[in-house]
Amino acid sequence: MRFTLPPGPPVTFKARLHDARTATAIGRWLGLAVVVCFATGVLSHYLQHPPGRLADLLPPRPYWGYRLTQGLHVASGTAAVPLLLAKLWAVYPRLFVWPPVRSLRHALERISVAVLVAAALFQLCTGLLNTFQWYPWPFNFVPVHYAVAWLLLGSLLLHLAVQWPQIRDHFTSRSPGTLALPAADGPDRRQLLLGVTAAAGAVTLTTVGQSVTALGALDLFAPRSPSHGVQGLPVNRTAAAARVTRASLADWRLTVDGPRPYTLTLEELRAMPQHDVTLPIACVEGWSKSAHWTGVRVRDLLQRAGAGPDARARVVSLEAAGAYRVMEMGRLYAQDPLTLLALRLNGEVLSLDHGYPARIIAPNRPGVLQTKWVGRLEAA
Amino acid sequence: MSLRHVTGGLGLLCAAWGGWLLLRQPEPWRIAVWLGGAVAVHDGLVAPLVFAVAALAAAAGLRLRGVPRAALIVAGSLTAIALPPLLRPGPAANPTVLPLDYLRNWLLAMAAVALVTVLHAALRALTRRAGRRA
Repeated sequence: MRFTLPPGPPVTFKARLHDARTATAIGRWLGLAVVVCFATGVLSHYLQHPPGRLADLLPPRPYWGYRLTQGLHVASGTAAVPLLLAKLWAVYPRLFVWPPVRSLRHALERISVAVLVAAALFQLCTGLLNTFQWYPWPFNFVPVHYAVAWLLLGSLLLHLAVQWPQIRDHFTSRSPGTLALPAADGPDRRQLLLGVTAAAGAVTLTTVGQSVTALGALDLFAPRSPSHGVQGLPVNRTAAAARVTRASLADWRLTVDGPRPYTLTLEELRAMPQHDVTLPIACVEGWSKSAHWTGVRVRDLLQRAGAGPDARARVVSLEAAGAYRVMEMGRLYAQDPLTLLALRLNGEVLSLDHGYPARIIAPNRPGVLQTKWVGRLEAA
Repeated sequence: MSLRHVTGGLGLLCAAWGGWLLLRQPEPWRIAVWLGGAVAVHDGLVAPLVFAVAALAAAAGLRLRGVPRAALIVAGSLTAIALPPLLRPGPAANPTVLPLDYLRNWLLAMAAVALVTVLHAALRALTRRAGRRA
């Protein structure tokens, strides 16, 4: 039996603007969003899980660094949603190109585009759902989101290389390829691009308030809001979730380990020199908010245990279990004057959900590393 | 070797690294199902739906261009990012997670987009009439 290809494609598209200029114009912005999202994401990955020796080299400044980069990560990913949908709309007719495969090269090209589209849709969907703490998939989010990020960046670079002649010929509205397209489409395309830009702006404005506190009033669809929180600050892991209760803290002591170990009661800790800092809590999920913290400098506590000025710190929480129960702090962080074992938040004693009696607050750090319910501090 | 080749080669390396990381995950075929599923849902469901709406509008004599089209793009995008908080099952971890009235906010946003579109159309009709009189 011989299979013969039908003479024409099963679907044809009469609509306009499915051309290389539209795809390039949207692709420029989408590409930028993907690159920003990738760079900030990889940075966050290494800040959250510093590999070995790198831990001591991570800089605690600028203090707002992680707040900015992770805010950008989630904002660029959100803005990429309308951009990706518009881009796929522009190139959708190419899915029905006839004949479906012309040559080996053509087949490989189509496979690489399929990988690119799959990775892009996958990253935006899983990333967005993760910010809402919704995990409907049967795999571990963090390593898979990280792996597909490389798949997406790689297939994007490959796509840029393969499509380079087309991109070059349609890069601006005056490029030769653009000028060869029907001139009547020009105003229509401009209006379409304006619409897509407006959509990217709208999704950004209605979500970015979760990290840009000044835009909090416009926050319609973000999973967090700066105006909702205990003591003016949202909470991720509650005391109940960490199985820490007031009763379990009745005999609380801070144990500090080093060449000269010691323990302190809360009263003794309060009697030490207190420092005020203004630092944000910045979560990997994108939300962040600045707050006023009062407490004892970690470096003072380490010094009192006989640790030198190069000491690192290991901080152990009283929470029953959790991936971040034991937190390692590099040398530059441990010795930074802004790094506190905080006792007070926004003028009040820390609430139980914010880590009473004592929690870490340090500059330029993912929120999960701002360990709550600290029971033990080790000079390392 | 041109910059184009270097970019393509670098892309292949990055993609291969990502693929290798995926293969080292437990049960990588489950991830492949989700990757393929994302394409299937978009290409087989979302996109045909959008094209069908456009075809229906054209058949009904509606010209979906300019501001009305932009309004649909904005409304559709806002709806897309509002779907997770609207559809997420189960209670939130604590009261500061998903603290907003997302249904109310979505209705507000749709109303705002509709209002801007209608105002724009009215303004254009007015300026046209004024232009004709002058």
